[in-house]
Amino acid sequence: MSQTGIQVEAPVERSGTSLDASIVVAVELGSAVLLGAFLLSEQTAIVVLLLAVMGAIFGLLQWRPAFEERIVAAFHDQQQLAIALGAVIVMVYPFFMQGSSYALHLLIVAQLYAVLALALNFQLGSANIPNFATGASYGIGAYTSALLAINFGVSFWLTLPVAAVVATIFGFLLGFPSMRTKDSYLALVTIAFGIVVHQLLNNFSWTGGANGLVGIPAPSLFGHSFTRPIEVLGFRLPSQANFYYLSAALVGLSIIAARRLHNSRVGLAWNALRADPLAARCQGIDIVWYKMLAFGVDAFLAAFAGTIYAFYVSYISPDNFTFLVSVTIMTMVIVGGMDNTLGVIIGAFLLTMLPEKLRIFSDYRLLFVGVVVILFLILRPQGLFPQRARNYGAHR
Amino acid sequence: MSHPLLEVRGLSIRFGGLVAVAEVDLTLNHSEVVCIIGPNGAGKSTLFNLISGIYRPTHGSMKLEGKDITGWPAHRIAAAGIARTFQSSRLFNDLTLLDNVLIGMHTRTKSGVFDALLRPATARAELEAAAVRAGELLHAVSPQLHARRHTLAGALPQADRRRLEIVRALASEPRVIMLDEPSSGMDDRDTDGLMADVRRVMAERPGLSFLIIEHDMRLVAALPDRVAVIDYGRKIADGDFSQVRLMPRVQEAYLGQKAAHHA
Amino acid sequence: MDALLMQHLLNWLVLGSIYTLIALGFSLLFGVLNVIHFSHGDVAMVGPFIALAIVQAVTAMAMPLGASAALLVAILAAMAAIGLLGVLLDWLVIRRFRTSPAMMALVATVALGTVIREMIRTLYPQGSNPKPFPAIATGVIQIGDVVIPVFSLIVIGVSVAMVAALFALISHTPVGVRIRAVAEDLSIARLMAVRPDRIFAVTFFIASAVGAIGAVFFVSHAGVVRFDFGIQLGLIGFSAAVIGGLGSMNGAILGSLLIAGVDVLVQVLVPDGASYRLVFIFMLTILVLVFKPSGMLGKPVFEKV
Repeated sequence: MSQTGIQVEAPVERSGTSLDASIVVAVELGSAVLLGAFLLSEQTAIVVLLLAVMGAIFGLLQWRPAFEERIVAAFHDQQQLAIALGAVIVMVYPFFMQGSSYALHLLIVAQLYAVLALALNFQLGSANIPNFATGASYGIGAYTSALLAINFGVSFWLTLPVAAVVATIFGFLLGFPSMRTKDSYLALVTIAFGIVVHQLLNNFSWTGGANGLVGIPAPSLFGHSFTRPIEVLGFRLPSQANFYYLSAALVGLSIIAARRLHNSRVGLAWNALRADPLAARCQGIDIVWYKMLAFGVDAFLAAFAGTIYAFYVSYISPDNFTFLVSVTIMTMVIVGGMDNTLGVIIGAFLLTMLPEKLRIFSDYRLLFVGVVVILFLILRPQGLFPQRARNYGAHR
Repeated sequence: MSHPLLEVRGLSIRFGGLVAVAEVDLTLNHSEVVCIIGPNGAGKSTLFNLISGIYRPTHGSMKLEGKDITGWPAHRIAAAGIARTFQSSRLFNDLTLLDNVLIGMHTRTKSGVFDALLRPATARAELEAAAVRAGELLHAVSPQLHARRHTLAGALPQADRRRLEIVRALASEPRVIMLDEPSSGMDDRDTDGLMADVRRVMAERPGLSFLIIEHDMRLVAALPDRVAVIDYGRKIADGDFSQVRLMPRVQEAYLGQKAAHHA
Repeated sequence: MDALLMQHLLNWLVLGSIYTLIALGFSLLFGVLNVIHFSHGDVAMVGPFIALAIVQAVTAMAMPLGASAALLVAILAAMAAIGLLGVLLDWLVIRRFRTSPAMMALVATVALGTVIREMIRTLYPQGSNPKPFPAIATGVIQIGDVVIPVFSLIVIGVSVAMVAALFALISHTPVGVRIRAVAEDLSIARLMAVRPDRIFAVTFFIASAVGAIGAVFFVSHAGVVRFDFGIQLGLIGFSAAVIGGLGSMNGAILGSLLIAGVDVLVQVLVPDGASYRLVFIFMLTILVLVFKPSGMLGKPVFEKV
């Protein structure tokens, strides 16, 4: 589904590491400040203003692609600085949220959706496999861990891997029909699967039926329960901060997984599968295996997000994991930029926060999402940040 | 050599009521170049699709170096050492030239999902080494292509697309390479350039066998050791081009019965 | 005949008819325009809302029309309106994806479905709540032990008539010939002076209007309508079309009867079947797609290599 609106590295002038470092610091701090202002502002006027600022920045990058290339080059050269600074920003961020548990809540939800979007990106972005069942994998992860915790008292940390494995098995089951079905029919199969899962969760009594599961116990780490606020150096963070750090860690893990897979033989095979499945087969690529792999990886990550979600809100029901949730996740990947890690994360953050922040439009949230998708598909099908070509150390 | 590299016996395929390829026997020896010729729609590309595993034959057998590969799926046949190009140059247009060649090396590399995730340094090293080899391969065929290796394949002109496809096919270090109408759609100058490159590849890889579908008779006269003629899905002649072209049955196939009698 | 069995049979035929009316739209649109119009169910579901609005307006204006006459007029008007809505949506959104990869068009129409649903919900007064839909006919015909609701007869009768009319249109009219030409080979049809845009518009009109009446029957059968009923109806109709073979009108009928059969069987044989009907319907869909990827009557597509 990718168009050739793809950005390729243009040769860049090197002007010294200190300039690179300044660029990295400026971009990271600037983004952090912008996001923070966006999260904390209560007045619609300010929100719209901030959106305009973001739009202007985006427009500038489009108008002068050299700027974007320069920034990317700087991040490449100063990779360790970028990662270190980024980690620090993420760690201290909650302290700047003025104790607002609502802002933390938004960040948690945005981060969980970022993980879901990254999970789907393996299939949709890299391999062009339409999967409308990510919501179901999300739900299976959530329900598995919740059931283990409620019925057997299993600790949160143990339920994580178990839920991931269960969901991955489900993912492979879902991938099984992908052997013979193509494209739109495969989409229908994934939709059908998602509905079957939703209906079964709704009907089985041991999953709580339509009422779902309540009373999922909060996790604890080294004796510190996640329901308790964090107190350090005299500062006090609301208890949401615990989950903020947890989901931030998951996002970090997902980014690492995404990059490692993208820049690998597997990522190349997926891209080949996307571009021309027949030619890919003739290069020795077993497309059935790689399709199943994509389903498996998507389910694995989605289950992690589902587990965290379940323990965060402590109450889940089948309606949290419907077809529409899958569509929302797909929107984030499409709007953000297919097969572009950063783009997908930005898409997730935007689509989580915008409807929340434009409160007066809250009733029109889904309508807004739908219209945005259609507009993007017509006007900018490659998303906000299209995929980047691999460089194999071309900068060095 | 004791037994041939590629041995095709009685290969047939039918689509519903239509028999596209019927009882074709074909032998390809080590280091041999064989051209497959015949009128349009005779079934030459279908034969290629059968040999490369895209179609499964309804009858017949195929053996590669004595090993039975009949009915094998395309990716296994590619891994076994048969590479091919397509008449319409099926490149991965939204990937770089280098990526295209790297994907061609899929069967010569082995990092899987666990390597990529848990042993990234090793996986990376393998990929970067492969990238270097891919660059060398590109350079050997065309320094111009090598210079553009980080640009997208979709932007290449026709002759370069063919070249890239050939490099991609060579990347898997095959025993047999099948070229499907490599000169189609090109003018004389481009064709000459491409053929010079193919000849160089042949010289550099003496062990490699070629199976080429061609319509351009200049090439058919000059390039191969042998020629096989396909008409209506059947092989009607097999041998040296200078002899085959004089056979009445072959002339009939190309010119039609009446014209052949006058030729 | 056993009265209960007759009831089940009628149920089967009624559901089968309703699903057929929707599935035909999917198959028609795929066959002629090569588009999978995911929002077809939602578009069709606008029909009952328009019908409701008209009925309420008529009653409010206290016009001298009987209740059934008002309903009839409302339904006919709704059909026409939805036909036009389909054409409008094609012109606004769907035609921009004619040359796009299939996946993009698919996602776009899924999003379009969301937009339509949300517009119903926000524009119709108290759209989030289910609205009662009047029964089209309440009488019954009694033959011995067997009780046959008039409604069932109407649904089956009208559906059969529509399908027959559609077949007649496609096979025996000039428009039908053009539609078949476009479905078969667009470039050649163009060369034969067929205006594809006109044919696309006609096809969209027919598909949407027929879908609208399917939705009306569905909603009248259920007695209630809600803005998101289109999702389920659309998915079932789509599954029916796919099972039968997308692009095949006979396939749409076959698939619909199959799914309706499963629907009724599950409700009768499986304990608490009503909650599980969707599970069985979609498992059937998955099974058929795994074993017969192009559907039962669909032609397997050979990729030209």
